[in-house]
Amino acid sequence: MLHTKIIDIKEKKISLKEAEEFISSSDYGASIYFTGTVRNQNNNKSVIGITYDSHDDLVLKSFKEIYEETEKKLNIQNKAVFIEHAKGYLNLGEISIIIAIACKHRDQAYLLSRYVIEEIKKRSPIWKKEHYTDNQSDWLKGNPIIHEKN
Amino acid sequence: MKVKIELFGASREFSKNNLIEFNVSNNIKIKDIREEMMKYLDQNFSGNENYKKIVKSSAFCSQDNKIVSDNYKITENEKIGIIPPIGGG
Repeated sequence: MLHTKIIDIKEKKISLKEAEEFISSSDYGASIYFTGTVRNQNNNKSVIGITYDSHDDLVLKSFKEIYEETEKKLNIQNKAVFIEHAKGYLNLGEISIIIAIACKHRDQAYLLSRYVIEEIKKRSPIWKKEHYTDNQSDWLKGNPIIHEKN
Repeated sequence: MKVKIELFGASREFSKNNLIEFNVSNNIKIKDIREEMMKYLDQNFSGNENYKKIVKSSAFCSQDNKIVSDNYKITENEKIGIIPPIGGG
């Protein structure tokens, strides 16, 4: 069971309550909520906010692929996964991503939660522009997506 | 033919419109678009080396949302996305 969404921050905020409602089930004995939030320091610079950009269609496609491959790679069949990522300007402390996971057992839940965030970092076309106290801003250097061979 | 390049991430700095349009010959490939973008940066940003690095390290995606190789042939009026190195979450 999968829920994915890109949240335009101008329209609404990411909600933990919705994540909780989605993964809540007596089928599962373990649940984990991972949130990413905007912090006030990066690379010795004082951050006041981050603008998130995304290629929405590719991001949602990558979320689905990551979810589907966990069945074989992690051998976790029965699970609920809720992934929402924000788009737009976020202030310090605001949530940029929620990954809510529910599985039968805790070892599966920890494994799955970590796998999903690490794969998103590697594969989902999302970018951050940090804004600093000195009114400067910078796009953060990321990891290139691997080009296909043909 | 016309090709539109939709800009994302750091490449959004290349144009206020978040889009660059090129008039190119038929049977153009992604590798040719990279060269067109380099020329565009020479003309509009005095060959800004940081911007050129972005183009060199970027992937591209087709209109049907597939990451495509440098040999991908672009069709007329196709909207291509430039995908700079990523780092969200």
